[in-house]
Amino acid sequence: MADAKTWARVKSPWVLHFNSGACNGCDIEIVALLTPKYDVERFGIKLEPSPRHADILLVTGAVTNQCAERLKRVYDQMPQPKFVVAIGACACSGGVFAGTYNTLGGVDKVIPVSAYIPGCPPRPEAIIDGCVKLLNAINPPKKKKRKQVNGIKEATKSEVVPVVMEVKQDGKQ
Amino acid sequence: MASNNADMVSLLESKFGDKIQIQKDVLGTAAIIANNGIHYDVFKAMIEADEKTGITAITGLDFGANLGVYYHVHTTNQFFTIKAVVPTVDPKIKTIVDIHPGALFHELEVTDLFGIVFQGNEFDGHFVLSENWPDGVYPLRKNVDPTKVKLVPTPEREFNKPAEGREVKIIIGPQHPALLEPEKFSVTVDGETVTKVEPRIGYVHRGIEKTTESRTYLQDTYLVERVCGICNACHSYGFVETVERIFNADVPERAQYLRVISLELNRLHSHLLTLGHACLEIGYETLFQYFWRDREPIMDLVELTTGNRVYGSLMTIGGVRRDLNPEHVPKIKAVLNDFKTEKMPFFRKMYQDEPTLRLRMKDVGTLSREDALKLSVVGPVARGSNVDMDIRKIQPYAAYGEIPFNQIVYTDGDTWARMNVRLDEVEESINIIDYVIDHLPSGPIKIDLPRSVPEGEAIACIEAPRGELFYYVKSNGTDMPDRVKIRTPTFANIPSFLKTAIGESIADVPSNFVSLDPCFSCTDR
Ligand code: SF4
Repeated sequence: MADAKTWARVKSPWVLHFNSGACNGCDIEIVALLTPKYDVERFGIKLEPSPRHADILLVTGAVTNQCAERLKRVYDQMPQPKFVVAIGACACSGGVFAGTYNTLGGVDKVIPVSAYIPGCPPRPEAIIDGCVKLLNAINPPKKKKRKQVNGIKEATKSEVVPVVMEVKQDGKQ
Repeated sequence: MASNNADMVSLLESKFGDKIQIQKDVLGTAAIIANNGIHYDVFKAMIEADEKTGITAITGLDFGANLGVYYHVHTTNQFFTIKAVVPTVDPKIKTIVDIHPGALFHELEVTDLFGIVFQGNEFDGHFVLSENWPDGVYPLRKNVDPTKVKLVPTPEREFNKPAEGREVKIIIGPQHPALLEPEKFSVTVDGETVTKVEPRIGYVHRGIEKTTESRTYLQDTYLVERVCGICNACHSYGFVETVERIFNADVPERAQYLRVISLELNRLHSHLLTLGHACLEIGYETLFQYFWRDREPIMDLVELTTGNRVYGSLMTIGGVRRDLNPEHVPKIKAVLNDFKTEKMPFFRKMYQDEPTLRLRMKDVGTLSREDALKLSVVGPVARGSNVDMDIRKIQPYAAYGEIPFNQIVYTDGDTWARMNVRLDEVEESINIIDYVIDHLPSGPIKIDLPRSVPEGEAIACIEAPRGELFYYVKSNGTDMPDRVKIRTPTFANIPSFLKTAIGESIADVPSNFVSLDPCFSCTDR
């Protein structure tokens, strides 16, 4: 049963977007993700309007004083297990707004963060990459059967050792 | 009607004599120094002389013993600044809201950030500052270090209390599916009819104006660019243009043309975004996806010309940072031509004839011309209500004076008209970029200017996608500005929504609201 839940969560994560004082750059890129060119729905990712249904919280923007309380509340309303992705330099560390009087600088000042995606704003591809990495971390893909993208079979432990030795030998020559 | 410069100045001179002092060619056509009380009469006289007179912005300034209140006023084709000062201890000045309701938000903002009381328009609580900000601490005053301020527990405000009797208060935001950005609106309804709308802005207030004072001009170019992620080129341009005006710099012509390309690409993608977003709000998701799909090639052009999808950072003080690569010209032309010939007719047909769109947008949120003038609305909202004010035409900046284009004006004043203004402007923007690429002058793209800016002050108004964007910069001879004031278009347009929503159905609130193309990160700064 737990497996089935993880499977469902990873195959179709519902995300909630919260702007905690962003400049709009990151937010528009998130909307662009949903539109035909980037289309994150192919990963099963769906934008969800209510915190009560969401698995992943995408936060953009340096947290402003006024938003901090609200961000905390939205996070508390989400059911367990929940993950937070900080999108953009602002959400990661305050970015260009670090040190301004009305921002706290970084989402992790208020709620725990699972993944950071830097960039101002991060390219949509980077956001997709970040989300996929998070999903892989939640449910690591089974190693044995997996092949790498370029067609080379993934190295097993016993195979790795000789490769390292080979490199050393090359260095000596 | 006093429509030209000499008329208005001489009219004021003859009417007020030595009660006022006129400095010609300062902060617009002229700066008028008027004491508390007289400023009211001067502004009244200006409104009576020119029906298009309105408030562009009110800037608060800290001179130490005194606080300055600058009223930036626009008339049909000019800008004036009325300068008044009040003592720092117990600062009070007479409100102008009773003769010009459009000044309401501007006054509230100055009260919140500078503590200047506008007599007749007093309020307590906060307007842009957060609820837990202590009362009596005004972050924009020079002697306050706002980063050291201790926050207080959030007090209970009237805003959140439920309505009485038949009426019901619906709170929209700050986290709401229809709002991309956090902002709160309390809509009071009687049955289905909206009777009152109260906004609570300030959720995205980051304090950019104050922060510019502790960073250098070059750093500020990037900081102000991040006021808004959509019209970013306009913001950085507005700032560098103002600084260049203080320098009295002669920016190379090629740079000015390249700036126009960047500004117009900005307008293009911003308008497409809004045109799509409006469809989303009325539940027409397919058309929303179409608009956003076709916006992507434009984003690619932004990337091609500036090197980045969103923040191009093309503008710099003295010119632009990047030249146009001639190899890219065919691609740019192809994308724009494709948009104009293939995509535009479809979108136009949809917006003109599609019955769903017409049903949800026609006669929704109608703003009459009189109200538009009284509320000092700007941009497509004003032009949708038959007010011809396009700063590119009134006071051409960059290279706009040499580029032929049409000003789009619709007379209906409703949501449909405002969206159609934007749709037509998409086509105009494409034509402008086409023209600029064909007529690009040769020469350098940048001149070098010193890091320290000479003492002085200047204003610049530019036509951002959402309307007139206003910048005021005061320098003190160092490499950091003394004061930067930014008045963004949405800030000027929200009052019109508060007016037009009343008496309409609650179901029309989203489409009415989105037709202003609201941008809160701009509004709050
Ligand atoms: S990271 Fe950049 S784009 Fe994102 S919110 Fe911050 S300033 Fe805006």
